[in-house]
Amino acid sequence: MAESSKDFSIVGKKTPRIDAYERVTGQAQYTGDLQLPGMLYARVLRSSVPHAKILSIDTSKAEKLPGIKAIIHHGNAQVPWSSGGLTHRRYIFNNPVRYVGDPVAAVAATDRHIAEDALKLIEVKYEKIPHVLDASEALKPDAPKITPNGNLSVGKGPFSAPIEESWGDVEQGFKEADNIFEDTYITKHVNNAQIERRVSIARWDAGKLTVYASTQGVSNARTDIAKDFGLPLSKVRVVCKYMGGGFGNKNQAQDYDYMAAMLAKVAGQAVKLEFTREDDFIGMHGRWSSEQHYKAGVKNDGTITAVTLDAVTNMGAYRKQSGNLSGTDFYNIPNFKKVIKPVHTNTVVAANYRAPAYPQSVFGFASFLDQIAFELGVNPLDMFLRNRAQKSKGKLAYTSNELEQCIIQGANRIGWREKWHKPGETAGPKKHGIGMALGGYPFRPGLGAATIRINPDGTAHVLVGVTDIGTGAKSTMAIIASEALGIPLNQIQLTNGDTDVTPYSVGESGSRTTAFTGPAVVAAADDVRKQIFNLAAEQLKVNAEDLDLQKGEVFVKNHPAQKRALSQVVERAGELIGRATTNPNFPKEMDGKCFSAHFAEVEVDTWTGHVRITRYVAAHDSGTILNRLTAESQIKGGVVQGIGMAFSEELIIDKVTAIPINPNYRDAKVPTHLEAPEIEVIFVENYDPYGVYGGKVVGEPPITAAVATIANAIFNATGKRLKELPMTPDKIVRAVQV
Amino acid sequence: MGEKSQDAKFSRRAFLKGVGGGAIGTAVVSTGLINADVAKAYVSESAGGARDKSAVALKVNGKTYRVEVEHRQTLAEVLRDELGLTGTKIGCDRGECGACTVIIEGRNMYSCSQLAVWMQGKEILTVEGLAKGDKLDPLQEAFIEHDGPQCGFCTSGQIMSGKALLLKNPKPTEAQVRRGLSGNLCRCGNYNREVAAVLAAASKTS
Amino acid sequence: MKSFENIDVKNVKEAVRLLEKFQQQKKTAAVVGGGSEYLQLMKDHVVEPDYLINLKTIPGLDYIQEERGAFRIGALAKLADIETHPTIQEKLLILSSAAGEAASPQIRNAGTIAGNLCQRPFCWYFRSANFTCLRKGGQVCYTVTGDSRFHAILGAGPSYIVHPSDTAPALVALGAKIKIAGPAGEKTIPLEKFFVLPSVDYKRENVLGPGEIVTEIIVPTPNPGSKGFYYKVRERLAWDHAIVAVATIIESSGTAVRDARVVMGGVAPIPWRAGKAEEFLRGKAINEANAKRAGEIALEGAKPLKDNNYKISIARDLIQRAVLASV
Repeated sequence: MAESSKDFSIVGKKTPRIDAYERVTGQAQYTGDLQLPGMLYARVLRSSVPHAKILSIDTSKAEKLPGIKAIIHHGNAQVPWSSGGLTHRRYIFNNPVRYVGDPVAAVAATDRHIAEDALKLIEVKYEKIPHVLDASEALKPDAPKITPNGNLSVGKGPFSAPIEESWGDVEQGFKEADNIFEDTYITKHVNNAQIERRVSIARWDAGKLTVYASTQGVSNARTDIAKDFGLPLSKVRVVCKYMGGGFGNKNQAQDYDYMAAMLAKVAGQAVKLEFTREDDFIGMHGRWSSEQHYKAGVKNDGTITAVTLDAVTNMGAYRKQSGNLSGTDFYNIPNFKKVIKPVHTNTVVAANYRAPAYPQSVFGFASFLDQIAFELGVNPLDMFLRNRAQKSKGKLAYTSNELEQCIIQGANRIGWREKWHKPGETAGPKKHGIGMALGGYPFRPGLGAATIRINPDGTAHVLVGVTDIGTGAKSTMAIIASEALGIPLNQIQLTNGDTDVTPYSVGESGSRTTAFTGPAVVAAADDVRKQIFNLAAEQLKVNAEDLDLQKGEVFVKNHPAQKRALSQVVERAGELIGRATTNPNFPKEMDGKCFSAHFAEVEVDTWTGHVRITRYVAAHDSGTILNRLTAESQIKGGVVQGIGMAFSEELIIDKVTAIPINPNYRDAKVPTHLEAPEIEVIFVENYDPYGVYGGKVVGEPPITAAVATIANAIFNATGKRLKELPMTPDKIVRAVQV
Repeated sequence: MGEKSQDAKFSRRAFLKGVGGGAIGTAVVSTGLINADVAKAYVSESAGGARDKSAVALKVNGKTYRVEVEHRQTLAEVLRDELGLTGTKIGCDRGECGACTVIIEGRNMYSCSQLAVWMQGKEILTVEGLAKGDKLDPLQEAFIEHDGPQCGFCTSGQIMSGKALLLKNPKPTEAQVRRGLSGNLCRCGNYNREVAAVLAAASKTS
Repeated sequence: MKSFENIDVKNVKEAVRLLEKFQQQKKTAAVVGGGSEYLQLMKDHVVEPDYLINLKTIPGLDYIQEERGAFRIGALAKLADIETHPTIQEKLLILSSAAGEAASPQIRNAGTIAGNLCQRPFCWYFRSANFTCLRKGGQVCYTVTGDSRFHAILGAGPSYIVHPSDTAPALVALGAKIKIAGPAGEKTIPLEKFFVLPSVDYKRENVLGPGEIVTEIIVPTPNPGSKGFYYKVRERLAWDHAIVAVATIIESSGTAVRDARVVMGGVAPIPWRAGKAEEFLRGKAINEANAKRAGEIALEGAKPLKDNNYKISIARDLIQRAVLASV
């Protein structure tokens, strides 16, 4: 067992965000708030057909509109977008177009209304090609080919297809089982739907490109832009100080950043390219949909002996991410084999949205286990406890694992044993149900960098490349800095999100900021503390090793009365700079995971199909919690997103015309205040030896178990298993009438 | 050759090299951005033509602003682009998310769904008008304390709806707060916190 | 949005006159009340008027008055004011409930009762610039081959929209009347006759002709012993149109029904009066069997599309619930 956390001075407390003031006063400048002198406004024209060759683009009428400054399309601006397509070459404008929404042209004008007017005047002639919308149909040999290599999305390395993973011997495992179960679960494409629409401002100054992006990762956005524009990194700057959510679809640079840059180059003026909300639903990616077929061998007491997963994930027209399904990660599965086929279809692209490979497959697998529990007559709590993950992939130890405590504490809090009943037992049309599921997310530290400057007055300036998509990453880094330096938080300033000024950060995704950049902040703090102690040692006439710095005061460890204010120590030293690039890791024989157990009580009105969540408990093992205030908010927020995915969200594409029919908030149905119950959060804290201050990850995990938890509660209420998301009133009403 | 043109030469070549190299054909270089065909990409200099514009006096946060606006410009647009009051955000421009919520004559409304020309003579309150100098509104303080903003993009709207609610109902119940804010989406899912903040602010002001 | 000119008017006559004038000039013009819904349509290029006639500048058209056993509500009365009006809550609770179910608080603060009744359908094909559907002058109602989960099960064809208003079913249940001003003067008609079936004219939802605008709603107070019930089934509890809505006013002697008005929303292109169910209920005892039967009768003849048959049982069960709650 790892050591328990020591007494921290600020880590573990509830600390308000360091930039909450700017956000609540409206002073925070998001990308769309920025105005540059002479700035033009740009809009994107998109394909209205799902699969077609562009025969011609006639911009002559649009060009005549007063105020139009530049129009680009594949004919005159063929810029590769490397991160936009990882298995076949993708450009910012493609010919053929491969889905309704594929960009065809972009226009820059003196104001946004003129830009919009111009879109209607651009005439595009298409020659239609047969298209395919359904993933399973796309795999058939006679399906229209979307990429030169066909529709199975084969690429290199992590983007090979199919995705295969196995250990043990599943045939043997099935033989050892008392029962074999099989079932299929289906999930849909769900858009990240963050409230800030995509926007990018590009400006060229003497050959240097600055992009004010709405991005989760300024460092990798810069890398992308430099690579695809053929510029040295020193000639590219990406800035993002505040951004209004992304949940995974704003990492790296995107095609609209490139379009803004191209338009700015051509027009010779700064260009702000803005997405409409419809652009955002269609032109940007969402969570990949899936069809998951599970087979499990199980003993009579519910113990799993073997599991296979055969699945198809729909990546849309281009491949940007893995298409993986990892919901089986939280269980002990001695014999396992999964084969997943990421597939291209002529639809909106799918890539990262919070815990990309998890909520859809946790829905599948945890529903599957819950169903098995029912058929065996085992209480789901015992089913999940019995099969919870204790070793990774059947053999690796975890760096820390409090999953058992999460299950037990969560179950106690909600009163599982007292409240659980057999499925469908409530009389009358309004039925009570209780359900649970396990979730979590990978944890692994990695490459990060940080700079810390100590000002002559003893205040500190921390520079990190993080953006802050709402997780509170800026605050977390400041808290880590405060803890590591021994300087109070209110004497620390944090600068973030500017590649000209702040060092590398992996980008806020995969819950990696704390794990990657956190250690760098600690190391940079250690670096500058050494310099401080060297100075103070001379002044106090002691050895440097005898000194400590806490609360802004340098003092002798064994004789604390002998001390000096930090400001006095450094006032004549000029500027002290601490820096570090770190890349911690843990042994190959270990695996890192965050774990969670969620529990929900619901009331299902079987006459109307409406479900009310009456109680929700989320128990999380995230190691040490660095900021209790923001960590709790992350858990609550993830659960609410899970509620949306469970009940109402999906991108609906008309089967005849291939046009998305609900690319807006009113019909894509993101949950409102009235859908969110009070969510109770339990943190089971255990110091992880490989995490900064023992912390693991917080941001991604909370959505993973939510959908399955609600689905299992609905099953307990009605006795009917819903195997397809979202669980809308029509599905519930139909299910209970069978 | 001066430094300036050398820069230009470097940047142009480097730019072209990247854009014209690799898997991209010569199409871009030959019809691309530096020679005559660039006329196809770069269009005329003329400014926008005359469209229907009107002068309107907007009373925002106690100040009167006189602006010339096109009739099709919404209040949200004008607040942000003409008056520089970017605290009000636009999330959907369709009245479906609430990020643009402001208070007009005491009622919370979507500023994206009101034309600027309709606002002549109306008292408008935006998030920038809540604080009195350095002193934050109790709602703003409560939002900081209760972690109201995650990404912060919906925050102004949530606060304005909270403000409108408390102006009409200084001691709301939790259910009334949730309903009062129900026209404001929060994709970060921070609803529990926003409601807690409004309730806390209500309990502070007597 | 396409460029247009906004004209503020001072009174109803001016609005009517302008509508006439622009029609003669072959220009498109539309009146706008609260504006939230109409601006949306304009931003999505579903409508592109050359002129917008702003009615908000007409003073004194937002009244809510009670006189001689009826309420007179001005066309520009805001939904939020109707919802919270103490006398409406006391005497026309069903209308207060229905108004309070519309959209979201911000829209209720801007939206008017006339606007709510005149709103265009929220069918996703109709609202999308990418589809020129039958109602917009095209050839095809895309619901027939497309996703019909939210569309009509009664009274529909060749267009399958449902009327999206919440106040409409409640007002029809209340027996409201609507006053219309136009080039030929003023007229008052039962609200029930205001709405138009697609089989009559699939390009519009109400009878308003060129130059006509709504000026007032007149709502009689229900008889003593009446209980009103507005229930809306939806996916999200805010900002969502009805999957099915039921507005009932049951006047009973305590145990037996004296008179019944049963109107459904979300199931038809117009607020749908379940006349046969009303007839069945008159004189009957309020019990589970009769309430259930009333629901069944109300849905007889329902013609579901590919994706919306679930609406039948929801509507049926909701009517049962409403009747039983009227005791």
